[in-house]
Amino acid sequence: MKITETIFQDGTHKWVAIVRDPDKPNFLIDTNEYLVTHGGEGMLLDPGGAEIFPAVFSALSSEFDPSALSAIFASHQDPDICSSLALWLEFNPKMRCYVSALWSSFIPHFGGTAETFVSIPDEGMDISLAGLTLRTVPAHYLHSSGNFHLYDKVAKVLFSGDVGAAMLPPGQDGLFVEDFDKHIRLAEGFHRRYMGSSEAKRRWCERVSQMDIDMLCPQHGAIYRGADVQRFINWFDNLQVGIVKS
Amino acid sequence: MTTTAMTSARRKAPRAGVDLLQIVRINEEIKRVVGVSFKINIMALNAIFLAKRAGTAALGFGVLSNELRVFSQDLRTCMESLTGLIHDCVGEVSIVLQDIRFTRLLGEAASIAPQSAAPAILAQRYAENETHAGKLAKLRNQLKRALEDAFQMVELGGVLAKSAKIEAAYGQSFAVPLAQVSGEFDGVVEEIRGSLESLRRSPFFTGH
Repeated sequence: MKITETIFQDGTHKWVAIVRDPDKPNFLIDTNEYLVTHGGEGMLLDPGGAEIFPAVFSALSSEFDPSALSAIFASHQDPDICSSLALWLEFNPKMRCYVSALWSSFIPHFGGTAETFVSIPDEGMDISLAGLTLRTVPAHYLHSSGNFHLYDKVAKVLFSGDVGAAMLPPGQDGLFVEDFDKHIRLAEGFHRRYMGSSEAKRRWCERVSQMDIDMLCPQHGAIYRGADVQRFINWFDNLQVGIVKS
Repeated sequence: MTTTAMTSARRKAPRAGVDLLQIVRINEEIKRVVGVSFKINIMALNAIFLAKRAGTAALGFGVLSNELRVFSQDLRTCMESLTGLIHDCVGEVSIVLQDIRFTRLLGEAASIAPQSAAPAILAQRYAENETHAGKLAKLRNQLKRALEDAFQMVELGGVLAKSAKIEAAYGQSFAVPLAQVSGEFDGVVEEIRGSLESLRRSPFFTGH
């Protein structure tokens, strides 16, 4: 079973990280899921692949009633992001799935009906969770061509999908980045290879630099907080991407 | 989720996979029979022309070749209905396979979080699984009956072909070509009969 850790709380407004499954087979990439709750409603961010559904579900239900999940946010279309969609829909068939307009006819291959999907336009949109406004932030080509992150202005948390991801070896898999210089070495290869566009990266760095962010939460690896958030943005801005080095 | 239920779901998975494989094989065999039954139609037309040319010497053969043409058309209709049933079976087995995967994953969730909503959802899933399994069992029986009907039809075709062989002997100067045509008929009908016989013995119907 995965571990849950509340990373932000103010009344019913919560961010819960669902991380690190000791029973996960090694051939599956490790993923972080995030639950945002507000006023009795919940939104699950990048709910994960079908094979890890039992671990994510059981961890989530220790914190929140899964049938009260009103929405899923899928940063992009990869199987580790939302191939479990059909299983979550069993608990609430009226659940909405927010996803880039580019993928709103691709992701239904994982499950759902025409009513399930809400297409996010390229420029992004606001999503309301029981009155809490969450902003979808364009992150196209990082790495997917239709890619969004999710910003909570009140909690000052940015869910950053694959941006900021790191492959953590056993023993170095803490929830938060503790030593930036050491940690970033675990993120470098992934960002160089998976992020396809320097121009898109530059625009993203400019955009998020203007945001007030306490925590940058990637879908893989550890969470950046405090000064490490800007440190990461600067590092990413200077990184050469989109080239395969032989 | 009980351990028994999870074990049962695990046991059903390979069974559904085997079912799918068997249906694919049955489908391939039926496609072959459909091709052969189309050939019979052409042969029956040739036999009718030949009987007309032979005139009074092949009156009996003419009647039988008309019957064989009707038989070939009936056989084709029968094969079309078998193909439709096979497609439905493939669809239903695929659903059962998906059910098994979902049941396994929901079962694991229910066993890790027995106090959550998962056991209730799992119970609903079981009910749906039963519905799908029931549909598949119904289709399996329909397919079995359709195969039996096809087999009976081919038995009749065999009798017609053999009678045509006998009639060919009375065809005077046309006896040789009529015998050749009726012999080909008989060969093709036997080929179809062999295929249907093997389909009837498929483990998909016998269960072993």
